[in-house]
Amino acid sequence: MTVSSERRPAAVFWSSLAERDVDGAFSVVPDDAEVNIVPLGILGAAPEGRKFFVDTIEAFPDVEFFVRKSFTGDDGVTVSELSMEGTQAGDYLGVVNQEKHIDVDQVWLLKSEHGRITSITGYWCQNQLYRRLAVKRLDQVAII
Amino acid sequence: MTLAGSERTSTRTAQVTTAFFDAYRRQDVEGMVELCADNATFEYIPFEMWGRQRVMRGAGKVGAIGKAMWIGQLEAFPDLTNTVRSITADEDGNVAAQVVLAGTQASAWGTIASRGQTFSEPNLFLLEVNDEGQITSITAYWDCASVARQLGHFEVD
Repeated sequence: MTVSSERRPAAVFWSSLAERDVDGAFSVVPDDAEVNIVPLGILGAAPEGRKFFVDTIEAFPDVEFFVRKSFTGDDGVTVSELSMEGTQAGDYLGVVNQEKHIDVDQVWLLKSEHGRITSITGYWCQNQLYRRLAVKRLDQVAII
Repeated sequence: MTLAGSERTSTRTAQVTTAFFDAYRRQDVEGMVELCADNATFEYIPFEMWGRQRVMRGAGKVGAIGKAMWIGQLEAFPDLTNTVRSITADEDGNVAAQVVLAGTQASAWGTIASRGQTFSEPNLFLLEVNDEGQITSITAYWDCASVARQLGHFEVD
């Protein structure tokens, strides 16, 4: 195993999402890959991760993922620090559409083994997202 | 660079990271600062305060804003502790540490008044470590909404 070979699946994942191609991104993610999207409390497998990105692209059809920094550790985990940016065009995570623009700082950890991504973990601050979507209260995210 | 050299470097980087979170767990702020280079940068990404004119961010130098934020956090959560879940390090000194922070609120923390509630929240720390084994950059991500809910605060400030 080399770091460069372990970096390749993550490169495919993010380059596909740059084209909003969820099928392409998940072509390197087997169904049993672990998915942990921390702010959403999602702890599951690839279908849950795939749904998150499908929902995101549906709600933000112009979404872009600007990767600021990326490195791959000797454990095969590629760490990508990025900004997810786009304009809301549909309801998202229970928040009604007000056509707001978002820029949310995120970190994603993709662990690769034998050319496949075996786990996906995402971190960001949901308050940062809510502020940009004009949500006022955490217990009433649907009420603007 | 040889593989052995690479392993030594990433291992040393991971050791510095472990020492940092050990000091954090001991609530030894001076020890945390001493592990950092003089001009080490600090950024707590979720920390935003939206004013009328501008957004204040939790960014600056470890010796200034970082130290002040750690002291303030420990005053608000006197039993603050952490559990390191994983450390990813490369041979260039880059680190990602998944760390759970937990504590019980004893006084106001930012805009969140104390209700005596406890929180436990996964954090992601990105560190950079130089050739001298000093931390030159600390960036952290966590979900403020989750922490606020656990502390009984529901306004999106």
